[in-house]
Amino acid sequence: MTGRPVPVPGALTGPFWAAALRGELVIPQCRACGVRFFVPEPACPSCLSQAWDYEPSSGRGTVYSVTVVHRAPGPGFDTPFALAIVDLDDGATLLTHVIGCDPAEVEIGMRVRVEFSKLTADIVLPCFIRDIRDGESS
Amino acid sequence: MDLAMEAVEGAAKDAGLRLADVDGAQLDWPGPGGVPGEGSSWARMFGRDLRWASDSFMDNSGVRGLLKAASAVTAGYADTVIVGGCRMVTRGPDNSPVGAGVPLEFCDVWGAYVVAQFALVAARHMHEYGTTPRQLAEVAAVIRNNGSTNPEAMMYGRGPYTADDVLASRMVATPFHLLDCCIVGEGGAAFVVTTEERARDLPHPPIAVLGGAMEYHQAAYANPPLYREVGQIGRAAAIRAYAMAGIEPGDVDVFSIYDPNSFEIIRQLEALGLCAEGEGGPLAESGAIAVDGAHPVNPDGGCLSYSWNGTQQMTLKVVEAVRQLRGSAVHQVADAEVAAVASAGSGAQHYELAVLGRSR
Repeated sequence: MTGRPVPVPGALTGPFWAAALRGELVIPQCRACGVRFFVPEPACPSCLSQAWDYEPSSGRGTVYSVTVVHRAPGPGFDTPFALAIVDLDDGATLLTHVIGCDPAEVEIGMRVRVEFSKLTADIVLPCFIRDIRDGESS
Repeated sequence: MDLAMEAVEGAAKDAGLRLADVDGAQLDWPGPGGVPGEGSSWARMFGRDLRWASDSFMDNSGVRGLLKAASAVTAGYADTVIVGGCRMVTRGPDNSPVGAGVPLEFCDVWGAYVVAQFALVAARHMHEYGTTPRQLAEVAAVIRNNGSTNPEAMMYGRGPYTADDVLASRMVATPFHLLDCCIVGEGGAAFVVTTEERARDLPHPPIAVLGGAMEYHQAAYANPPLYREVGQIGRAAAIRAYAMAGIEPGDVDVFSIYDPNSFEIIRQLEALGLCAEGEGGPLAESGAIAVDGAHPVNPDGGCLSYSWNGTQQMTLKVVEAVRQLRGSAVHQVADAEVAAVASAGSGAQHYELAVLGRSR
């Protein structure tokens, strides 16, 4: 490998990446207990039901933690970048990048919303940007 | 492979045993020869049929390896087991997957390698409790300076370092500077586990497993490390291990614990019950973790300076604890009678703890 790792959609995750390509963020939601979870897994981690569907997310959330990565693990990354954990308002937590601002400005508690970023012809990544509409509410 | 051979032969020799005396192998087999990854490949090297073998790299190292070998010996499945193996650098900086080398669909694409994973835990702890970069740097300086003066350490002769030196080194992933992070190397490590009865007939005074416990939150790196879930991982294991050993946290004379970065020591001071959650930074800054402090941590220099040789860094933690309890460590903690050894990872989201002591 010489570039940034590219996700390879599998049976469980194909619909997630297909939705991202359309500009939609979808999250697994359990049909039995209603819990939303991420990453996609064979069964709901709360009740073990295998009946779950991808449901749309508002894509709005809050930064739970962030690190500004200055030394990338390999080629294909523009450094520095803000690697963040985002708690979505409507459930589930994602690893992502916060883009569109100086990485050093990304803070825990910052309000963010999803912003799709094209990686390849087939893969679009759900990144996040500062949510101006909400302002900061940390 | 030659690194593993050297470690295995060295451990047996140190114990006063021939390989033919060993009937259990919890050992890496990298090849060539045998079947790579299959522990029973060691039978030919030992010149005998084995009664106990292990294939998984995590079961062949550190505290998890120790507790499983001790279980086998106690149950009578085997009499004498060697635990260990080696690591060679086989990959360059090529965006290889983090951890066990399995591609992780929602991790690798974000560049969430080990340092960054731990940084996400540290950043949240600093946000919640006011832990400072200087407190992290103090930890790094103390442990690195243990290695600076240990002729066996990879970084022997480098330093000494002050907290200011750590803070002045280049940033890797906030809050970690270069000198906050562990080194990477090649090497082997191994130790021998046997029955108390047999150990008493061997040259060294036996070191006993007084207690142990394991704790697994979830698989490594598939999900991001959330401080609210893994921030105190190890606390439950510590409570169980101390109870089994019949000790309190303050009874531990020396800690040989995972230091992939400076912050992970601060976190463990809390999880191991030496202070309350959030107070690890001030405790570390107080000098408590120095060789002559109240809670000495990694007198050999740890992963920050001695060596990080893959999963076998966990085995080196056991080796250092045994040396401390024998009284033969390079930086000896005075009158060390009880040691705590940990294999861990907040990024990896697991914790294994053993309490070792001089066999009475």
